[in-house]
Amino acid sequence: MSKASKINPVRGPVQLEVMEPVARFSLRVGKQGRQQLGQALGLELPERIGMRSSQGGREALCLGPDEWVVLAPEAERETLFTAALEAYAEVPHSLAEISDREITLRLEGERATDLLTIACPRNLELMPPGSGRRTVMGGIQVVLWRDGQDAYRLDVWRSFFDYIHSLLETGNREFAAEAQLESQSA
Amino acid sequence: MTAFRVAESGRVRHDRPVEFQFDGRSYQGLEGDTLASALLANGVHLLGRSFKYHRPRGILTAGSEEPNALVGTRRGPGRYEPNTRATVQEIWDGLQAESQNRYPKLSFDLGAINDRLYMLFSAGFYYKTFMWPRSFWERVYEPLIRRAAGLGKAPQEPDPDHYAERHLHTDILVVGGGPAGLSAARSAAKSGARVVLVDESAEMGGHLLSEPGLVIDGQPAWDWLAGMLEELRELGVRVMSRTTAIGYYHQNFLALCERLSDHLKEAPADLPRERLWQVRAGQVVLAQGALEKPLVFDGNDRPGVMLAGAAQTYLHRYGVRAGDRHVVATSHDSAWHAAFDLSDAGSRVEAIVDTRANPSDALREAARDRGIRVLSGHTVTGTSGRLRVNAVRVNPVHDGSVGPAETLGCDSLLMSGGWTPSLHLFSHTKGTLRWDDESDAFLPDQQAEACHIAGAGRGLWGVEAVLQDGDLRGAEAAEAAGHKPESGAFQVENDRTGSGETHRELPSDRKPGRARAFVDYQNDVTAKDIRLAVREGMKSIEHVKRYTTNGMATDQGKLSNMNGLMIAADAVGKAPPQVGLTTFRPPYTPTTFGAFAGYHRGDHFEVVRKTPIDSWAEENGAVFEPVSQWRRAWYFPRQGEDMEAAVARECLATRKSLGIFDASTLGKIEIAGPDAVEFMNRMYTNPWTKLAPGRCRYGLLLGEDGFIRDDGVIGRLSDDLFHVTTTTGGAARVLTMMEDYLQTEWPDLNVWLTSTTEQWATIALNGPNARRVLEPFVEGQDLSPEAFVHMSVAECRVAGFPARLFRLSFTGELSFEINVPARYGRALWEKLYEAGQQYDVCPYGTETMHVLRAEKGFIIVGQDTDGTVTPDDAGMSWAVGKKKTDFVGMRSLSRPDLVAPGRKQLVGLLTEDGSVRLDEGAQVVADPNQSVPMAMIGHVSSSYHSATLGRSIALALLKDGRNLKGQEVYVPLPSGLHKARVTDTVFYDPEGERLKV
Repeated sequence: MSKASKINPVRGPVQLEVMEPVARFSLRVGKQGRQQLGQALGLELPERIGMRSSQGGREALCLGPDEWVVLAPEAERETLFTAALEAYAEVPHSLAEISDREITLRLEGERATDLLTIACPRNLELMPPGSGRRTVMGGIQVVLWRDGQDAYRLDVWRSFFDYIHSLLETGNREFAAEAQLESQSA
Repeated sequence: MTAFRVAESGRVRHDRPVEFQFDGRSYQGLEGDTLASALLANGVHLLGRSFKYHRPRGILTAGSEEPNALVGTRRGPGRYEPNTRATVQEIWDGLQAESQNRYPKLSFDLGAINDRLYMLFSAGFYYKTFMWPRSFWERVYEPLIRRAAGLGKAPQEPDPDHYAERHLHTDILVVGGGPAGLSAARSAAKSGARVVLVDESAEMGGHLLSEPGLVIDGQPAWDWLAGMLEELRELGVRVMSRTTAIGYYHQNFLALCERLSDHLKEAPADLPRERLWQVRAGQVVLAQGALEKPLVFDGNDRPGVMLAGAAQTYLHRYGVRAGDRHVVATSHDSAWHAAFDLSDAGSRVEAIVDTRANPSDALREAARDRGIRVLSGHTVTGTSGRLRVNAVRVNPVHDGSVGPAETLGCDSLLMSGGWTPSLHLFSHTKGTLRWDDESDAFLPDQQAEACHIAGAGRGLWGVEAVLQDGDLRGAEAAEAAGHKPESGAFQVENDRTGSGETHRELPSDRKPGRARAFVDYQNDVTAKDIRLAVREGMKSIEHVKRYTTNGMATDQGKLSNMNGLMIAADAVGKAPPQVGLTTFRPPYTPTTFGAFAGYHRGDHFEVVRKTPIDSWAEENGAVFEPVSQWRRAWYFPRQGEDMEAAVARECLATRKSLGIFDASTLGKIEIAGPDAVEFMNRMYTNPWTKLAPGRCRYGLLLGEDGFIRDDGVIGRLSDDLFHVTTTTGGAARVLTMMEDYLQTEWPDLNVWLTSTTEQWATIALNGPNARRVLEPFVEGQDLSPEAFVHMSVAECRVAGFPARLFRLSFTGELSFEINVPARYGRALWEKLYEAGQQYDVCPYGTETMHVLRAEKGFIIVGQDTDGTVTPDDAGMSWAVGKKKTDFVGMRSLSRPDLVAPGRKQLVGLLTEDGSVRLDEGAQVVADPNQSVPMAMIGHVSSSYHSATLGRSIALALLKDGRNLKGQEVYVPLPSGLHKARVTDTVFYDPEGERLKV
């Protein structure tokens, strides 16, 4: 990534942090194989789109009827691959590594949800903490994880990352300016 | 205090004076003033010159519907805005405003000659007058007309402001913060629904701000308003002032424009000027109220002529009297109240002139109490005064005949032609309107969206009725949104209800052809123009509108549409509903381009995708070119080199020793699953079954029509796993196409597709020394020519990074493409670059890549193909599996027109003079001596100077091209006619010896 700093100086009410990479996979498997493959990979694969599970540092988010994004600590990358490979004969599936396809931005702060609405048309109130969605930000496909009421992770394809990041920084500065104006007039 | 300010009156801050300038002169206003109210307080009524006739114009309204008082405003360098409505612009210390469309000055304008020539400028005069000579229209007439007519000048400097965007979801959106909107918001919010309330004004309250004498539920109106706003806040209603609902689109999607900084003297640097809100609302309550109509009579546009309701607003909201001596002309009761209020505030009201024969006794009595003369059953037939009205000419009307005139002196003429329910947003939704005979107005009928119309917008009159209606509509909306409704009751004292009549232009004793009775002030359309249009055959209101431009100005006929319709209906001899109403379209009020552009400017104009190696290219002086959304290194010029020199050097260096190229933008798709090979067989023209794991193959993808869509090298990593590459621009399109087939045609296949374009950084090493430099870095794969043959793929490690390594060639040289996880892309590049120094490694860009591939006759999809090229046309029948029973596009390949002789085929072209480089896109002819228009047999698709060959080369699509090989064709270029020989497409190393290094 071209942004050198990992943590941005707070120039607005929302903390924006570029996350360290993790092992990330796109997992595709049919209905019948869901549970069995989940067992092989050591975590439940939730059935409903938007639902998440986590187990021993691994996380899964259901993105489609046969699609999950699976996260694991980098050290477990090979273990996961091997486990999948062993299960393949019985449960055919696709496990494609996408660790480097995306960069993750973490947002936290009281106005984090507002900040996302500068570019995300989805109704984020319908996305409770502990869920996630594939959605769009500024016309770009992203995966959004809601970790808390005011905390999100945003997975953005690498080449789109700077665009989204600087867009959110711009919005964050706007919020700061509005707060400044309000405190002046108060 | 300024002359027309009323002490301690209005919502302005009398203790906070504000200095501003108009046409270079300094004036004082108060905090809370608009530019219009502040100028009126100073007795300034002349604000501009009209569009066509350059007539002096003043302030007609007190709101966003203002057609006259358009000025230029300046908020510092680059922040000039033309056509700002003075009635909307709030003042601040240092605001500079100027009048428009006048020369040399506002009070004496040379362009006013147009007004003397008005007989020439009737409707449609351009079309009739400037018909010949035809050629004069574009060069002479139109520029002259455009200079003579018009309003503000477009700013020339770039706009330094920034504009923001937000998305918003809500159960209920209430548009309009007047009494109906307030009560709707409250009842909806009390039911538990989430409510957003917007109003275009700086303050909520709407009509209540102009009626402080009301007593609502026992409280003075303004106290009640404050309490109401507090209650809304407590209920969690998002209240947005200075926010205009500009458009109402499908499925309750609305656009709001919020103005954030135009009213501020100083704004924080990061504060946006405006913000466009895209709202998705479950239910919408439209409480936009009603707009007052002017009366149409000769001289109804003079400065000092104003709508009576506006005068009432200036008096109560801003504490400003519109003049000292008023005459009120009206067809509606409401203007009487404005007259009474002004009289009570110390202004003199000379007379109330009512077109109706019998205004109510209560009104007459109230007028008598104030000593105001009442002239009922009268018409207005003229005004006088050069830059400000100084007299009104009125006549009695008996049984349709106009009696003798009387002239009334005044400095202010207030008028009211009744009120038009404001249904613009409703009209955006294609909701239909019905004519209501009782109120002489169009009211909402069939609705197309989940919306509710409250208050004056549906023809109700009186604050109590409107509050009650808003409350009910709010509850109705809440119920529709799934909440339990809760409604309240309101009691209003001093509620000044009333009624009125709707007119066409007022009767006159003077020649109608001489009357300057304006219907559309902004576009200078008179009653006479509308009658002329009907006389000349325009029967539909849509035609009348376009012929006269009535209602086509930026105010979209907010004041003029109804008057125009009444006149047109009278002229056609039909009832108004039979003549119809024109459609309103978004935006509701003029909106800046900035608001629409939002973040899409400067760095955010559009995404620029960069590869992991882009930063190295930038540091090393690359010149970039855009390729779809990507920016790619085009060439790497050294000191003093132009593009041609740089590309020649890069080409020679690569062929001679070693070139390094960033191919990361290539689309990549991982195709996995037991049916992967079956899927590949169905998608691509090539056979895949026998491709062994560890090998790769060039793949050609067609559309259903049999034409080439994409291509790329595809590696088989295992029985069930393919690594597909696509063109840079085709990546998303190809994946979508594949998913489409998979999901809709072959859901039974056990195969999954994943985009891995950005997972990998891809570096191509090309040249006879490619293996020598790469070999020491590779672990887990023998790179020897025997172990790793041309068109192989392997998973291994390169420089310690996990890699997918391909041996393939797009240059004709020995070549490897190394894919490593994107984060290592630049590190690997730097290692290879350093190790390559001993072989004079040359980084090259897309241009050199293009030249090298053209020397080998490799096509670029989208350059050498144009969506009408089959594999055979491109000379690539070898890529089509002969024994295959099906693949996408296969059936089309046997269509009669695709197998007929004479199709355009890809061939090479060598110009007779090797120093001539043909233009790409140039047409090719067989015989240059034929008569014009010549028969064109094809076009040049690729053309370069080849440093390797020391001459130019070109590829072309020529009719029956392969049969023309060896023959001469001609290419006319601006530089002259050039002769070229048709050749094979491979110009360099046709035997492929160089791959065998």
